[in-house]
Amino acid sequence: MKSLKEELESEQVRHLDLSRYCAVQSGTPVREALATMRAEEGRPMLVIRGEELIGIFTERDVLQRVVGRPDALDGPVDAVMTARPITVLPDTSAADALWLMDDHHFRNLPVVDRQGRILGDMTYAAFVHYLAARYPVEVQNRPLRPQQYPSKPEGGD
Amino acid sequence: MTTATIPIQKATLSRADFASDQTVRWCPGCGDYAILATMQKILPELGVPRENIVFISGIGCSSRFPYYMNTYGIHSIHGRAPTLATGLAITNPELSIWVITGDGDGLSIGGNHLLHALRRNVNLNIILFNNRIYGLTKGQYSPTSRLGAKTKSSPMGTIEHPINPIGIALAAEASFVARSLDSHTQHMGEVLKRAAAHRGSSFVEVYQNCVIFNPTEWDGLDDRRTRDDNILYLEHGQPMVFGKNRDRGIRLNGFTPEIVVLGDGVSEADLVVHDADSTELGYILSSMEYPTPMGVFRQVEDRPTYTDGLMEQIATAQAKRGRGNLDELYRAADLWTVVPQDPTEPIEAHISGRVGGEMDDEYTDMLTGQGKEADDSTSYGRAGTNLDIHGLKDRLTEVNVEALGTHAPVEVDTQTSLAKAIRQMNSHQIGCVLVTDETDRLVGIFTERDVLMRVAGLVDDLAAANVGAYMTADPVAVRADLPIAHALHLMALHGFRHLPLVDDDRRPVGHHLVPRRGALPAQWVVV
Repeated sequence: MKSLKEELESEQVRHLDLSRYCAVQSGTPVREALATMRAEEGRPMLVIRGEELIGIFTERDVLQRVVGRPDALDGPVDAVMTARPITVLPDTSAADALWLMDDHHFRNLPVVDRQGRILGDMTYAAFVHYLAARYPVEVQNRPLRPQQYPSKPEGGD
Repeated sequence: MTTATIPIQKATLSRADFASDQTVRWCPGCGDYAILATMQKILPELGVPRENIVFISGIGCSSRFPYYMNTYGIHSIHGRAPTLATGLAITNPELSIWVITGDGDGLSIGGNHLLHALRRNVNLNIILFNNRIYGLTKGQYSPTSRLGAKTKSSPMGTIEHPINPIGIALAAEASFVARSLDSHTQHMGEVLKRAAAHRGSSFVEVYQNCVIFNPTEWDGLDDRRTRDDNILYLEHGQPMVFGKNRDRGIRLNGFTPEIVVLGDGVSEADLVVHDADSTELGYILSSMEYPTPMGVFRQVEDRPTYTDGLMEQIATAQAKRGRGNLDELYRAADLWTVVPQDPTEPIEAHISGRVGGEMDDEYTDMLTGQGKEADDSTSYGRAGTNLDIHGLKDRLTEVNVEALGTHAPVEVDTQTSLAKAIRQMNSHQIGCVLVTDETDRLVGIFTERDVLMRVAGLVDDLAAANVGAYMTADPVAVRADLPIAHALHLMALHGFRHLPLVDDDRRPVGHHLVPRRGALPAQWVVV
């Protein structure tokens, strides 16, 4: 039986859910970008010029570069985004992507193919969802509060 | 430019509002937990007040559901939940009514009741947990068990053909027919939300894993590694492409669906396009086993509900003949009185037999193989800090969050200014501070999500505003001896990235946050 590590080495990034992101064009005012992110429940934002990825704008950028700086709000998102983010290929192994995230403390890795097409954003949450679905009996099948879990195998107290 | 002087209050409910205080008496690892968790997660998103939600169940493991929901609920008669629900839907059309049933309760004992609730298009959401076994009665075959299945009541294999629940629902003219599975909670959540939004009879079959008596039934479907190769996700208006690499599709050859590989002269244009309006296509899909279709088979929106039709007829009749009088109608017929007789012998004399009893040995063995006894009832379970446990699954349940290393809690109080709190976060390079009251108890967390949603660009003077008005109040906090599996559960279902660790008095003792070097969840289990 393969270990999880071996399993993640054979699993490709494109097999994870890459759909949780939103996108804006370069030059969009920060205020507008914030409104879009709020409407998308805080999803990370890929900043594109035409079809090309030029940056990423996340909650962390908001915390570090936007809040408390009213002058930034009317400027372009380009001034506060993280420019030229590290990206991965769709066939990068999930394990490699994971180590990359860990090394750099990233929660997002945009997925861009060899032709420069944006395929999505691999998020930290996508890993969590993978693991939860990989071990549903242990992880998903639980009540809200741990103390509500029965202590005996047949479900009694 | 506006300054939000009035703090934005969260008026919405959360999963915790829908969880009751009852210990959940399903076997550890049962798929019912995932369905319960998903239901509690999606209900707040529907915006229906708790007092307008009712869960009605019959008999079976799944039918314990209403106890665990903090809504109205009836644990009713075997197979008769759709019947009670029909009466309720007519009496109060404002309610959101959910019928929870299983393959035995819904298709065997209550088969008839299910059919008629569906064909009447009563505004109900009927969720049928299908584990293809009788779990509560300990492992006899059910009406959906496969032909030849060897069970407690069919030691030589069943000689009965199984019922196809989706086919039954289509044949009974349900106006919304869908399927999902317990292990794919995101998919299940979406399907449940669409069922709730549908007016009329919604039928959702959920493939559910009975870990004790039928744990291998959904092999291939409930395994994250292989599921996308075995499931056809139905999307209205989309060509039927499937496979992990989206490289195969379904083409119709006459009335028979066939699997084709894309490329080599076959393109998406050759594939069947899913049409949820088509009953005929629904039937074809209902009998397809590989790949297994998941999602909405059929959805008909323009059909009046049973309640609408009935109320219209009552209004018409009353306009013609006036309101009727039930008492008069009753007394118009022949009446007689039945005289009660005194009992000649005490009723106790009729009671015999043994109450309670020992579990049979075979069952006890089966159970003890599945789990271990807890030695301390106040602990969350058996989690410890020994990272040297081998077996992946054991690590998940036996190693606790604390063993992974935690961040010392960074605390502020509710009166702390936003400016100071944000400075703290940036100087510690973290995305969250814990907010405590004067007795050092956790009352909230203030995260970068809160900054994005309520502060950035909305609050001008950060020094004048207090954290207390912008924090997320009463966050989920856990004890440090929480098993990793439970931390992952909370993260997967809620998207939490921060888990405050507290003692029994809710005083912060630590803070688990990701990502921090070495704190990504895969490393928790990767050896």
